Amino acid sequence: MSASPDILIVENICKSFGGRVALSDASLTVKRGSITGVIGPNGSGKSTLFNIIAGTLKPDSGRVTFDGHDLVRASPAQICRFGIGRTFQISRVFAELTVLENLVAVAHGMNDARAVERALELLDFLEIGHLQNKWGNELSYGQRKLVEIARALILNPSVMLLDEPFAGINPRLQNRIIDHLKVLQTRGVTLFFIDHEMRIVLDICDELYVLAEGHIIANGDADDIRSDEKVKDAYF
Amino acid sequence: MKGIVALVAAVAAIAVLPGFVESYGLSFLVQTLIFVCLAYSWNLIGGYAGYAHFGQVAFFGLGAYVGALCIQAGVSWLVAPLIAAAFTAFVALVLGMIMLRLSGVFFGIGMFGIARVCESLAMGLDGITAGGTGLYVEVADLHMLYYVVAGLAVLIVALTWRLDSSRLGLQLLTIREDETAAAALGVRSTQLKVGTFVLSALMPGAVGSLYISYLGYIDPFTAFAMMTELTTIAMVLLGGLGTVFGPLVGVVTLSVINELLWARFPEIYLSLVGVIILVTILYMPRGIVAYAQRKNWPLVPVARAHLRHFAQRIQEARK
Amino acid sequence: MPYLELLLSGILLGGVYALIACGLNLIFGVMRVINFANGDLLALGALLAVTLVLSFDLPYVVALFLVPLIAAAIGLAMHGLVIRKIIEGPMIMSLLATFALSMIVVNVSLLVWGGGFYGLPQVLSGSVSFLGQDVPLARLVSFLLAMFAALTIWWFLQKTRFGKAIRAVSQAPELAVVSGISIERVRYVTFALGTGMAGLAGVLMAPMFAVDAQFGVRVGIKAFAVIIIGGMGSYPGAMVGALLIGVMEVFAGYMFGQVIGAACVFLAMLVVLIFRPSGIFGIGARA
Repeated sequence: MSASPDILIVENICKSFGGRVALSDASLTVKRGSITGVIGPNGSGKSTLFNIIAGTLKPDSGRVTFDGHDLVRASPAQICRFGIGRTFQISRVFAELTVLENLVAVAHGMNDARAVERALELLDFLEIGHLQNKWGNELSYGQRKLVEIARALILNPSVMLLDEPFAGINPRLQNRIIDHLKVLQTRGVTLFFIDHEMRIVLDICDELYVLAEGHIIANGDADDIRSDEKVKDAYF
Repeated sequence: MKGIVALVAAVAAIAVLPGFVESYGLSFLVQTLIFVCLAYSWNLIGGYAGYAHFGQVAFFGLGAYVGALCIQAGVSWLVAPLIAAAFTAFVALVLGMIMLRLSGVFFGIGMFGIARVCESLAMGLDGITAGGTGLYVEVADLHMLYYVVAGLAVLIVALTWRLDSSRLGLQLLTIREDETAAAALGVRSTQLKVGTFVLSALMPGAVGSLYISYLGYIDPFTAFAMMTELTTIAMVLLGGLGTVFGPLVGVVTLSVINELLWARFPEIYLSLVGVIILVTILYMPRGIVAYAQRKNWPLVPVARAHLRHFAQRIQEARK
Repeated sequence: MPYLELLLSGILLGGVYALIACGLNLIFGVMRVINFANGDLLALGALLAVTLVLSFDLPYVVALFLVPLIAAAIGLAMHGLVIRKIIEGPMIMSLLATFALSMIVVNVSLLVWGGGFYGLPQVLSGSVSFLGQDVPLARLVSFLLAMFAALTIWWFLQKTRFGKAIRAVSQAPELAVVSGISIERVRYVTFALGTGMAGLAGVLMAPMFAVDAQFGVRVGIKAFAVIIIGGMGSYPGAMVGALLIGVMEVFAGYMFGQVIGAACVFLAMLVVLIFRPSGIFGIGARA
């Protein structure tokens, strides 16, 4: 495996829907072991960019490279097996499966005993071990978010893609999730997420990209972004 | 261990059953067992993988015609089902790769169209199929037929049992629940769908061939009858989608209802079945057994208990 | 081959298909429900028309108005009792539920009318000369009335406030709710409209064909093929698709016979599903 500092490289992504341009020459790099965030107002193209990186959408042009692998030509299943885990903005927990089964189902390459063991570890890590036998559609919104994170972690991904992980949940749960993410970072997992909650993003990200109307308009650490005029213009 | 005991018990029961029933009863059993095979097959693609469709009878009919032609060509009626199954599996492979790209309802209706097209091909290619006149073969010995069909039924129930407690079965359920999410989480959904579809076509093909040995005759209407399709689906739906014993419960329930109601209330029989299906859909949308498992009814085994046992053992070891 | 005669015959047949296909399509567009029972309401409509005219001695015109109303009322009941409860679930469930409803309707029809075929050949009998061909009056009148009804409803959808509400719910339900549209009411009306159109199609068919209680299944299935070819969710698509299907079926039937003629319709449906899943005008069908 190459030990280049940039684990995920996104180059000149363009995407249009019908006549509308969603992304125009969007580029970013994610450093290994960092917490990187993309923020932007609604309609800025964040979700489109996220889905292109995760493989559920194909760009009109541009490249996405992960540890040497070309992601644009890969299917979502292949991308997952390369070592990228992801969560979804609108919860996609498997409804008629229990929380334990949700995790074990996607524990590829592990036998059932090992998969259950790992699943329980993750559920304990996220402090939701008591939910293991609850059915997917019995969970509250916040619980689903946590289960999704656990599920995405079961294959020990080197990069976690989180789709608006903090949307719609109360501040106490948000802080819990932040703590868990920071622990993951100490374990070497690279975190990449999109969100529009400025407060959290400025707080925990090592590196930030600001997207507005399909363009990356600013990039840097929290202080850089806070003082950037263009960002203020875009948001207000 | 439990599985082996159940298997032996089932085989024993099947072996002695004919001693208790006369010819009509044996006939009824053969028909019921055919439906068991059809229902369990449909359960694989419709119940586990979530790709319900209205065209399974196409494989049954194709199997019947291939079987008839083989038997007429001198092949033993015991070997014909194997050839028929191979044929329908191949057709399913080709068809599946094309049709499974369609989403839910379109796949379901598209397969229905396939069944209609097969029916009309059977009508039109009368050089081979003798069109509306139909093909005649020698009727096979009822006792032997019973054992063969019963054997196939035991086979597919056992296969479903193994699938249900395997990772593969769990992955099929994720495809059913949310295919996009499953794929994004590494589940090889295309391969699994097509594989399951092919598997679901094997038994109908074989059983179609056995059916013609039972009836002695096949024509396009009998081979591709919509009623066969709808009864099969109703049985799985009623009994329990994506469960091990659901289809069995469904087959037994509907067969019994059939026997009771058809004799006594033939005029309103259709309505009664319709009402039963409606009530099931409204209150137990995934069928009786699935509902029972969800609501933790006593005496109903929990789904995928093996995972819970692992979890229990691990957590006890930690204490 | 008598091209013109077959073409006219096909178009006239297609006109009536259009009515039932538009109704099915409307229901699908608004509620994503495929009403398996629609075809049976067509059969019921035809049978009711026969009874009204022959047993109750009412003029055909009365049947033309009364039967669609009855069919719409049945539709309201279906929606209220069954459909509205399963609408949130997977589509296959609504398919199975409407299939069960279909069984019940067929059974009721069988109970009342038995298994025989009924028709109204004496209504609108005779033929008219059109483009040098002898066209049966019944077919011509049915075609014109069917097209009139279909176009009137299309006008209703495009121009009136409630019609636009219906379209809003079918295209963007979340926005429709926010604009204060009562989704519940829209669904009821849509379902009633769809079933009413099927009933009307039935009345229009009675002078042309002999209908039995099982007729609905055969026609209903072709109506699916029609909307898949025309494009599910597209009203003009359903109309164009129906005319195409009518022509195709008549030509194929002439060349190969009835059964294969019908199967050609499904073959066309499969071709469309595979190569152009959205149909000629419609919305997506891909997995």
